[in-house]
Amino acid sequence: MDLALQLLFTGIGIGAVYALVALGFVLIFRATNVVNFAQGEFSMVAAFMMVVFAVDLDWPYWLSFIVSLIGMAILGAVFNLGVYYPLRNRSFLPVIIATIGASIFLANTVLALYGPQPQVLQGWFDTPGIQLGPVYLDSQYLLIIAVTIVLVVFQYWFFEHTLIGKKLQATSQDKEMASLLGIPVSMMIMLTFVYSALLGGIAGILVAPILFVSIQMGATIALKAFAATIIGGFGDVAGAIIGGLALGVIETFGAAYVSVPYKDGFAFLVLVAFLVFRPQGIFGERVAEKA
Amino acid sequence: MKLTRRAFSSALTATLAGPALIGRAGAQGATIKIGMCAPVTGPAAESGRYAQIGAKIALDAVNKAGGVLGKQVELIIEDDQTTNPGIVLAFSKLAAQNDIVAFLGSIRSTQVHAMSPDVLKLAKPVMIGGTDPALTHMGNPWLFRFRPNDSYSGRVLADYGVNTLGKKNWAIVHSTDAFGTAGGKALADALGKIGANVALDQGYANQSQDFTPVVLAIKQSGADILGSYITFENDLGIFARQLRQLGVNIPYVGSPSIVNITALKLAGPALFGTFGVADYAEDSSDASKAFGKLYRDIAKIAPDNQSAWTYDAVNILCAAINKAGKTDPGAIREAILATKGFPGAEGEYNFDANGDGLHGYNVVRNEKGNVVFDKHIEQAD
Repeated sequence: MDLALQLLFTGIGIGAVYALVALGFVLIFRATNVVNFAQGEFSMVAAFMMVVFAVDLDWPYWLSFIVSLIGMAILGAVFNLGVYYPLRNRSFLPVIIATIGASIFLANTVLALYGPQPQVLQGWFDTPGIQLGPVYLDSQYLLIIAVTIVLVVFQYWFFEHTLIGKKLQATSQDKEMASLLGIPVSMMIMLTFVYSALLGGIAGILVAPILFVSIQMGATIALKAFAATIIGGFGDVAGAIIGGLALGVIETFGAAYVSVPYKDGFAFLVLVAFLVFRPQGIFGERVAEKA
Repeated sequence: MKLTRRAFSSALTATLAGPALIGRAGAQGATIKIGMCAPVTGPAAESGRYAQIGAKIALDAVNKAGGVLGKQVELIIEDDQTTNPGIVLAFSKLAAQNDIVAFLGSIRSTQVHAMSPDVLKLAKPVMIGGTDPALTHMGNPWLFRFRPNDSYSGRVLADYGVNTLGKKNWAIVHSTDAFGTAGGKALADALGKIGANVALDQGYANQSQDFTPVVLAIKQSGADILGSYITFENDLGIFARQLRQLGVNIPYVGSPSIVNITALKLAGPALFGTFGVADYAEDSSDASKAFGKLYRDIAKIAPDNQSAWTYDAVNILCAAINKAGKTDPGAIREAILATKGFPGAEGEYNFDANGDGLHGYNVVRNEKGNVVFDKHIEQAD
């Protein structure tokens, strides 16, 4: 039982990271009907920004966090203008390829600017964790879970109870109709990219003290987050959260009780099962219709 | 004068091909070229940089001393991307340059396995750092190892844990790539021979983000000592931290990656008090100290095995070519195999018929982040 509790906590913690990145996938998919394969690199770039501000420049952690998020917002806007906007009237395929290209560009830019060395980023708290009975609660995982809950609540409130949120939803549902109603569609899509860059950035900064800051960290997280998005249902916010958490828990328990080397295999086994038996995911609409 | 079609064709061919041929001949004559596959990008890019620095330090010294066969030596580096397909591609690019006389391969066994068939086809000497014992025992006469193989590290780890630390109930954690699998097996075999028990033999896939299941398995196994063969430094860093967080504080002896610079930086205090076998230990010999000083002056960081093996490989390769008196691959091979008593940074090289140059390991301990030499254990066979 103690073992299961420890695994459950860790699984939820790592699953929350997948969920945060998956949320970014979902938001952009809803707004533009394409998958942004650079979502993972947003996490990596934000983590490197934190290293520059908090470690290299020795700024206070909170200030580094805010400046990094401002940087991510700018990156999201530039990404929209440079990668999505020029291709907005083309089919989804060129846009997807452009996001893959942008992902490679971001990874190599950071490599050229910062070098290949993995970096250490301290966590938000001085205390590494607390022992609660038989379970060790890593303070960074606790923070990740808490931030995920806050962001999910915020996102629900933002999309359901604010005018701008409703405009974003209208844009994602039918861009032409939204435009006829006077909603600035391009601005809404810009905001979506900014918000998803922030989500990816927050995920990267939160997970960096656990996984270290490296060029590869974005790709590692994004692959699982993408799987989580499909499991949850492409285009569904609740699905991204449930999918991410489920993936984290399944792979952790699978590793502990079946086989550690095949840990990643369990995650993708579930993915394949969903693609075969329920391609629309837990909550999502049919993928075939979207594509 | 009438310009015939044949004369025109000949002139055109000479104009186009001439400069290339002259350049080629000039290039062949000007320098001795050594190819190097190194991880410039990918997870091991940082250690790849150390490897390049080690090779270049040796190269500079060789060139200052007059070079090889009276010519300067040039290093041609290709990025292996820290992947198996990457090193195959990098090696094929280098192999296409006929004037490269020998090569430096990878420190990662899995990559050496991947490139080995092409090495066999090319039939030119390749210096390697991969420690899977099979690499020099699978019928490829062109691979020469500049680190002790894992049959030695396994025996030294087992010997130190059982006889020096007095622990007989082991947990073994290893990656599932060629290096980790071979190392884990070598350790388990060595423990079996000296009557120790393996309570847990646990593999994991490289680039794992979470080691909680592995750490909990160690806890449940009841082992009183941990031995590991972990390939990547970030995996080692995450594993070591979770080990301490989840309360596993049994003695820990690890393969060489446990004392490399990147791992020490990433894991920090989580690796304090651990032991490791290290092919390179700065205080183990005069040659090691001399390399350490050179490396610190240039790289401004402490040296480790990533840079030491390439330093030795370039030095011994250049000495062998000089000894052979020509760049014929067969002659270089014979000269490398004839190398005995060569004082390298990693230890004294005595090549055997398989191409293994080193036959022992240093045991070191991590004292608050400083790697301290304990003792050298040489194996007779």
